[in-house]
Amino acid sequence: MNTLAARRTRNLGMTVVAALLILWLSDVMTTALQDTSRMSGWGLLAMIGFLAAYNLRKKLALLPLGSSASWLQLHIYIALLTAVVFGVHLNWKMPNGLVESILALLYLLVFASGVVGLFLSRSLAKRLTTRGEEVLFERIPVYRKRIQAEVEAIVFSGLEESESTAVAQFYADRLREFFLQTRNFWQHLVQSNRFRFGLLKEMQAYGRYLDESERAMMTRLVTCVEAKDDLDYQFSLQATLKYWLFIHVPLTYALLVFAALHLLLVSAFSGGVS
Amino acid sequence: MPTFESIQRPERWAVPFSPEMTDADVDRLLTIEPFASLDPTRFRGKVTLRGILKNDTRLVRCQAGDIVVRQGDWGNSAFLVISGNVRVELGSAASLPSEILGRQSVPRKSLFQSIAQLWKKSSEPEVRDVAAYRDDPRIGTRGTGEQTRIYLQDVSTVLSKYKTATIEAGQFFGESAALGRTPRQATVFAERSTQLLEIRWQGLRDLMRRDDGLQKHIDTVFRDRALKWFLLNTPIFSHLGSEDINELVAQATFETHGQYDWAGSFKRLAKEGIDTDLQHEPLIAEEGNHPNGVVIVRSGLARLSRRHEHGHRTTGYLTPGQIYGLDEIIDGWLGKTPKPLTSSLRAIGIANVVTIPTRLIEKLLLEKADRRNLLGRGSSPTDPLANRPKIDTTRINSDFVEFLVENRYVNGTATMLIDMDRCTRCDDCVRACADTHDNNPRFLRRGPIQNNIMVAHACMHCEDPVCMIECPTGAIHRQTEGGQVVINDQTCIGCSACANNCLYNAIRMVEVRHQDGDFIRDDQKHAPIVKATKCDLCSDQLGGPACQRACPHDALIRMDMRDVKQLTDWYTR
Repeated sequence: MNTLAARRTRNLGMTVVAALLILWLSDVMTTALQDTSRMSGWGLLAMIGFLAAYNLRKKLALLPLGSSASWLQLHIYIALLTAVVFGVHLNWKMPNGLVESILALLYLLVFASGVVGLFLSRSLAKRLTTRGEEVLFERIPVYRKRIQAEVEAIVFSGLEESESTAVAQFYADRLREFFLQTRNFWQHLVQSNRFRFGLLKEMQAYGRYLDESERAMMTRLVTCVEAKDDLDYQFSLQATLKYWLFIHVPLTYALLVFAALHLLLVSAFSGGVS
Repeated sequence: MPTFESIQRPERWAVPFSPEMTDADVDRLLTIEPFASLDPTRFRGKVTLRGILKNDTRLVRCQAGDIVVRQGDWGNSAFLVISGNVRVELGSAASLPSEILGRQSVPRKSLFQSIAQLWKKSSEPEVRDVAAYRDDPRIGTRGTGEQTRIYLQDVSTVLSKYKTATIEAGQFFGESAALGRTPRQATVFAERSTQLLEIRWQGLRDLMRRDDGLQKHIDTVFRDRALKWFLLNTPIFSHLGSEDINELVAQATFETHGQYDWAGSFKRLAKEGIDTDLQHEPLIAEEGNHPNGVVIVRSGLARLSRRHEHGHRTTGYLTPGQIYGLDEIIDGWLGKTPKPLTSSLRAIGIANVVTIPTRLIEKLLLEKADRRNLLGRGSSPTDPLANRPKIDTTRINSDFVEFLVENRYVNGTATMLIDMDRCTRCDDCVRACADTHDNNPRFLRRGPIQNNIMVAHACMHCEDPVCMIECPTGAIHRQTEGGQVVINDQTCIGCSACANNCLYNAIRMVEVRHQDGDFIRDDQKHAPIVKATKCDLCSDQLGGPACQRACPHDALIRMDMRDVKQLTDWYTR
């Protein structure tokens, strides 16, 4: 079995060679006073069509259409290659027509969202294994409610056992909102522990106002805070991994629609040039 | 004084094979051969002949056509024909079709059938076609619950159409599979009303120990039928002539280490925690000792370990067909001084091993071998010694090897491993599984994680499938082609024996439904019909396991744990 690094080097190498070939061909055609835009346009459309077909392949898991991993490899490297064909097609200049500008912008957005998606897939997956327990995304609200119920049980039992309301007060002021729903989405995404660190320090400092039994309660609350924060971390990363496609895929469909419109306009106004 | 609850110390026959065996039955058995001529004085202590017959045997009555064992079934017992006779199907091109044996022969779907799954998916979970349970005239079943038996409906046609041999009263069958923990080699059915004595393997082992005739008979049968075939198929002996093979067969010793019911014991041990000193794993050969011979694993699994500080570090594992001790013998032969064993070998659960004496290895292999091949530097790609497989797990983190062996995951031939560093939790694998199984995913993307590798709760299609042992109808079976462990939904009676035996929570019992969502119920008690379900490795689909094909990030693999090289390459990629 090849290592993943070897595969990456091989595929990148092949892409670079293909890109150089495309540039050379474009140069030759330009020198020969031939129009490159028609060929690069059809090529680009075919490549984008193939890239969009990956989503279809994913939905047809029951057909022997090759492994999804092989499709993804093709998807990534052909997508990189489209950047070169796109440049050649536009003659390395931004277009000035409205439809063409929107089309170019859509292409750039799809390309950028794909690159971001690839980065997220490779980096967030690794980070998910570093904190908290492995949880199914759909089960996160259940676990969150479970932690919330446990916290409330701790606080209410404290109220019954002691005359002091210090822990309950702290819960109402500082913790209730935290346990109520998912928090710190963006902080977790950029791997910031600022909130967690601050809250735990605050809880530790608050210990000076508590008696022994309340401090024990606070220790249990600290465990719950950590568990909830880990759950938020899992939610933040898993949601990002799931939802980036909700940007990439609709943009792709929009790109296909505008590409069809562009094709129609180009064909209609080509004036019969072969 | 401290108080504690006490129970009677569990003993061997606390749970007899059959509670229906009476003293009168035992008295009758003692009057027939081979028990009548056994010397009772050789049965000393608690293990008496009477005790064995009472607790390790049961009487089985079969009607004409009743299938006793099927080729490929796994069982833990041998049979003695008491009265009547049975027929054993002889291997030939025309063998009994799977359907009449109660098995499902599921052909691969055509391209159109694959596409049709897109619109034929049921909206309700676990939908079944009731007609499929009612209308197959080829399958006959008798009895209820665990006594359910599949029978051949037209014995005379079967006898005229297929080549069979008779096993008469007084003869044994099924002993090789029972003692060797290997699949049954042939299908056996009752020709007429027949009474059989089924002896569980522990009882058979004790009878053999105390009766030279029986020992000799079973030993001869085993050596003739199973051992010779096994040695011929062992790569390092594959080039030997028939005379040399016969010498190997004559001098080889065959031993069973560990417990037959290792799955049950493992479940109990797992609750107790890690067994750091490996005291529950019987020692086959110990590090530092002189190698008495080459040990070949015939069935089961074995752990290789080296002493490390106050414990033992697992350095690898052996699966059937793999060899231990050969390198040390070769090193000793080349250096002219004996070399001690560099690691210990222990049975994981149960291991049946064949040992070939060192002297014979030297005579048949080393004396004739090219020295360069022995050193592993030979250029011949076909030389079995030059190309002897190495069990090298050094590139894998030792924690991970310990984890795989400790939890018996090395038993899997299609273990689902997920690299959590690459898995984006997209669940494409689960969706693909559901798509190919009428909207019912057959695994859970959950499971223990070690070194960021998850072993998911999916059927591993074990090398030693303990799930198959107690299935009363043989509904759970290994496919002849491909070797996948699959369940015939038609003959599954929902007894849960397989699910209870499975160590890996890979089998789920489900209540089946009509297309409209109502439960299918039995006609007497009106209780929902329950069926066992599990991963079938997409054996009816084009293209292989959908889960693996659907993973975009190369995170999921169905790993044959017998292939240490593949595992190592995947782990270190």
